[in-house]
Amino acid sequence: MNLSPDEEQEAVAELATSIATEIVSPAAREAEAAGAVPDKVWAQLVESGLTAPIPEELGGGGVPDAVTQLVAVERLAYGDPGITMAAVWSGAAGGLIARHGTPEQTERLRGLASSRDARAAVALFEGFGRGPAELATSVTVDGDSVRVQGRKVGVPFAAIADPLVVVGRDVRDGRLRAVVLASTDDGVGVDEMTRSIALDAAAMGSVTFDVTTTTHALLGGVDADGDALTSSVQHLRLLNAAAQIGLAQRAVEYAADYATTRIAFGTPIAGFQGVSFPLAEALMRLDAARLETKDVADRLDLGAGLGARDVDHAVSYASEVALEATRDSLQTLGGHGFITDHPVEIWYRSAAALAALDFDPTCSAFEPAL
Amino acid sequence: MTYSAQLSKPLVDYARTLREWSTSEARPYARAADTDHRPPANWADVLDTCPVPLGRVDLPEPQALPDFEEGYWVRALVFYESLNYGDIWVHPTLGGGIGHLVVESMGTPEQLEKWYEPVLERGFTTGFALTEPGFGSDTSQVSTTATRDGDNWVINGTKIYCSGGATAEYVVVFATVDKSLGAKGINAFVVPKDAPGFVVAKENEQKLGIRSWVTSELVFDHCVIPVENQLGWTPDGAATPRRSGQGGALGALAHNRPNMSAMCIGLGQASIDVTAGILAGQKAGFTPQRWQAVESELERMNAALERGRRMTFRAQYLVDQGKEDRAVSAAGKGYAPQTVERVIRRCMQLLGPEGTSQDLLLEKWYRDVKIMDIFEGSGQVQRIVVGRTLMGRLVG
Repeated sequence: MNLSPDEEQEAVAELATSIATEIVSPAAREAEAAGAVPDKVWAQLVESGLTAPIPEELGGGGVPDAVTQLVAVERLAYGDPGITMAAVWSGAAGGLIARHGTPEQTERLRGLASSRDARAAVALFEGFGRGPAELATSVTVDGDSVRVQGRKVGVPFAAIADPLVVVGRDVRDGRLRAVVLASTDDGVGVDEMTRSIALDAAAMGSVTFDVTTTTHALLGGVDADGDALTSSVQHLRLLNAAAQIGLAQRAVEYAADYATTRIAFGTPIAGFQGVSFPLAEALMRLDAARLETKDVADRLDLGAGLGARDVDHAVSYASEVALEATRDSLQTLGGHGFITDHPVEIWYRSAAALAALDFDPTCSAFEPAL
Repeated sequence: MTYSAQLSKPLVDYARTLREWSTSEARPYARAADTDHRPPANWADVLDTCPVPLGRVDLPEPQALPDFEEGYWVRALVFYESLNYGDIWVHPTLGGGIGHLVVESMGTPEQLEKWYEPVLERGFTTGFALTEPGFGSDTSQVSTTATRDGDNWVINGTKIYCSGGATAEYVVVFATVDKSLGAKGINAFVVPKDAPGFVVAKENEQKLGIRSWVTSELVFDHCVIPVENQLGWTPDGAATPRRSGQGGALGALAHNRPNMSAMCIGLGQASIDVTAGILAGQKAGFTPQRWQAVESELERMNAALERGRRMTFRAQYLVDQGKEDRAVSAAGKGYAPQTVERVIRRCMQLLGPEGTSQDLLLEKWYRDVKIMDIFEGSGQVQRIVVGRTLMGRLVG
């Protein structure tokens, strides 16, 4: 057992925290209003190498271990989840290609890794509580021909992603497959884009696929390892959980700070247990969620010791915790939490958006508050 | 009569008609009201299409709500839920506000004649200004001052979250005449919108939700009003008010509180119904196990809303019986909102990312409903009031 961060994790946490507070957080409102990450912020995130796990030999900043990637995403989301996830989701496509791609496919990353204009995406989620093993998007390989059919929701940069890595299952053997496409390809139908409750900087949308292409588009080629891809996709899901933890941690700290300065009934309201206990509970639950996601990510990386639904439960718990933590944080500020002068309402909305993205109704249950 | 929580058929029919109308005629304007931060320009035309009376105040002849055997306040619950089932934008167009409720509660007969009865007769919006940047729940901290100057009061201070502040004919402002008196020094003053020194600093604050409801930041900059605008006072001095100061403000709010809960139950029910309708068409996409979970979720959410309804009905039933109980009102207000927040967000989750998109109204209702556990006494304040029935007043 070693629960202490190693040098790399400490260095990444420090770098990510400083970028989060100095660059990402101040741009949050601007990014949301524009529905896009400001160019300068995007460039700084790309340069940091924190958002795209691409090896140095392919022009990236290197590939940290699974836990370190969680740390980076959590700390960046502490600054702003909308900007962070736009960059992380775009980087995730490059990460998948770098890890699983054929030499021909990884060669394309050289330009992508350092580009400030490129927007990539992984089309993964389908709703209905489906995990990777249950995806209904089909990949049919027939000789040199590949057909992709299905519908994806919550696809980042839905209208402009290139590459757009679509994850589905091989109709013959059920293995997980990924196909490298672009949003503008024939047979890629993007629903009319509308705004969402939050995370608009990632320009998410729903996409219907009926694409016929060649085996050159199969990530890793015809003989790609479906289990390895599953592991990578599960890791991507944990990055969303890390973002939930980061944004909720920020909300709790913000609310705690407010509670120590706000005076009511003759004392800072932090002195009332009705105020302090919900925040303390949120902090404990965030600790538990953080430990869970790191542990699951580590086991995933090792390729052993992971239960079939461990990732599902880690993702579900992080979302539940973030939903309640941001709610209690907003409630701590009362009316001030409800107006946009304070940023808590952004985190409240962002937690809801992330919680709906990857949701399995069998992992948690609705419970009335009283 | 033996115990029964059943509503009479006429009230059930009225509720159904109102709900169908708010869904088909009002809801289509909900998204624009949120985006534009105001009700639709043709709101009066929309209200014209309602087949049952809405209690409108914008018509030449005031429009009364029909009477039912359940009584005034129980009817109000049904009205609020059914109206807001469509969307929350309609509510402020029906005028009202709550400033005149304070006048009714604290005013002298002359003041009622001047500022309360005209509201019933003609209908116009009245404002309420209590909260300040420095305090919310602890109303003893009012720092806006009222200083006597001959036959006038001069008011100085800043108020926030004033419902209808920028659109009201007058605003009831809470100010202290002597800070050393604490809560006892707080008085309520009727400040007409044309009083010198009445400044609308922000017409409509930027909010998470209820964006079409005007809540204003008001600044009183040496604002001068006659002495007789102090509620409970005459030009000759103090009258005997039924309630006073801080207590008056909160007393006026107490009856209104469970209505806020009814509003949020309306949003919760709308969310469940919209969600259930969409999911019914998506059943084939779920595994049998998950579909069973989905059905069970919908059932439990509906049951939770029913509990919330019972709590509000009990509170307003007692008011109609003349047996009002502040703690019961607090429970009626405090019970439902947090649960409804969970209902709406669960509905969004069940629908996936499309559930949080602006193509649907769930994300809007999730933003709207958050205020219901904050304004008119936060969830924490309701818990304090309920707790006092067990443990007495230890603080505040």
